[in-house]
Amino acid sequence: MVNLRAFSLIIFFVLYSLLIPTDSWAAVKFVSAKENYVFYCVSCHGPKGLGDGINATKTQPVTPRNHTDAIKMERISDEELLSVIKDGGRALGKSTMMPSFSSTLTEVEILALKDYLRELCKCVGK
Amino acid sequence: MKQNKLLIIFSFIFCLLLFGLSDALAKSSPAGKSIFKTKGCSSCHRRKGPSVDKEFSDLQKKKGPDLWFAGSKFKAGFLATWLANPVPIRPMKFYSLREESVRDHPKLEKEDAVSVAKFLMTLKSKKVKLGVVKAKKSASGRIIFEKKQGCYGCHKFKKGRNVIGGLSGPTLIGVGSRLNPDWIYAFLKNPKDFHPVGAMPIYKGILSEADMLTLSRYLATFK
Ligand code: HEC
Ligand code: HEC
Ligand code: HEC
Repeated sequence: MVNLRAFSLIIFFVLYSLLIPTDSWAAVKFVSAKENYVFYCVSCHGPKGLGDGINATKTQPVTPRNHTDAIKMERISDEELLSVIKDGGRALGKSTMMPSFSSTLTEVEILALKDYLRELCKCVGK
Repeated sequence: MKQNKLLIIFSFIFCLLLFGLSDALAKSSPAGKSIFKTKGCSSCHRRKGPSVDKEFSDLQKKKGPDLWFAGSKFKAGFLATWLANPVPIRPMKFYSLREESVRDHPKLEKEDAVSVAKFLMTLKSKKVKLGVVKAKKSASGRIIFEKKQGCYGCHKFKKGRNVIGGLSGPTLIGVGSRLNPDWIYAFLKNPKDFHPVGAMPIYKGILSEADMLTLSRYLATFK
């Protein structure tokens, strides 16, 4: 009797776990701004944010922004940082070589990246 | 005499059966599949989908790209040629932002390359509709690729006589003979069907499906 109850419980949990789409686990997982920066931004902006990533070859039309350049970075407001990450260079009338990440990153992740950029430049926006 | 005749008839039937069997086996290409296993290809490549990657660290653990949709991704002729002479497709080592690729991919003898290619071409993804997208050069394709989106920020390609672009993505030089444009279109529309985690930005919602179609046709003309 007890065995049967344990058995049905197991079956229940197996069925239950099958019902949950696996995607939802990925969505729940928290990815830090630093991890996102390393995975999505470093290839162009460089490991330290100096604008010297492997994609910044001599054949590119523009160089990626140096994120540690406080003088340039404080001219950009927080609002503008958010919109450039979401909608790419185009959002600020800059080059489209800076891609849009609105479909790749969540709202929360983009907010955290904005704060991370402020840490890199050790500056506040205008 | 009678026995001899029976023997001949039986051996004839036997031969026919064997013939049919070997033909059926050749179609499912167990030769290619077993070479894939014995040459250690499975130690770096997944041949069964869907992908189980969930986070960035899963990519770092991988030693090579997934091949479970190879039959939808590649042009039929490409694989046999490449496996016999594997020149780097990714300028950087697999998911490395530091080390450049070297010519170190295992190489197959021509015959083996042909049978492995045949096997890999049987690995299709249901998410790719085949025979729909055809190569087409267009000014609009070029504008989307170079201006509307800076695709070459991460991908090398040939612009006229010059090779320009970034290095983090696979080269787009020779895509016309490497990738099936139907797959490019499916990949642009739903990259997560193939790479649940990927370093390429997702363009769904940023480019329209019509733009993606134009772009896939345009990429298919790349030499
Ligand atoms: C394909 C290369 C590439 C990638 C990947 C990339 N960027 Fe950029 N980014 C650029 C380029 C090029 C510019 C300079 C655009 C210009 O000056 O016209 C730029 C500029 C910027 C700027 C400054 C905009 C301004 O007004 O000057 C910010 C902020 C920025 N990127 C943040 C990011 C973040 C955050 C990520 C990762 C989520 C990222 N970028 C990923 C290429 C890239
Ligand atoms: C040590 C790990 C390793 C082994 C073993 C290996 N590969 Fe690969 N393979 C890779 C890597 C890494 C790449 C990416 C190479 C590049 O982009 O230039 C690759 C690329 C490929 C590609 C192109 C895939 C794509 O999406 O671009 C094919 C096809 C392939 N390998 C088939 C094979 C076959 C068949 C074998 C067995 C004979 C094999 N590989 C053995 C690591 C390996
Ligand atoms: C931030 C860098 C980046 C940008 C910008 C980018 N890609 Fe990619 N692309 C990649 C990476 C990295 C891969 C390898 C798969 C992955 O990790 O998602 C890839 C894979 C591909 C592939 C498959 C190639 C193969 O052989 O496997 C195609 C086709 C492609 N990209 C086309 C495009 C197009 C078209 C655009 C512009 C709309 C674009 N890419 C913009 C980084 C980029």
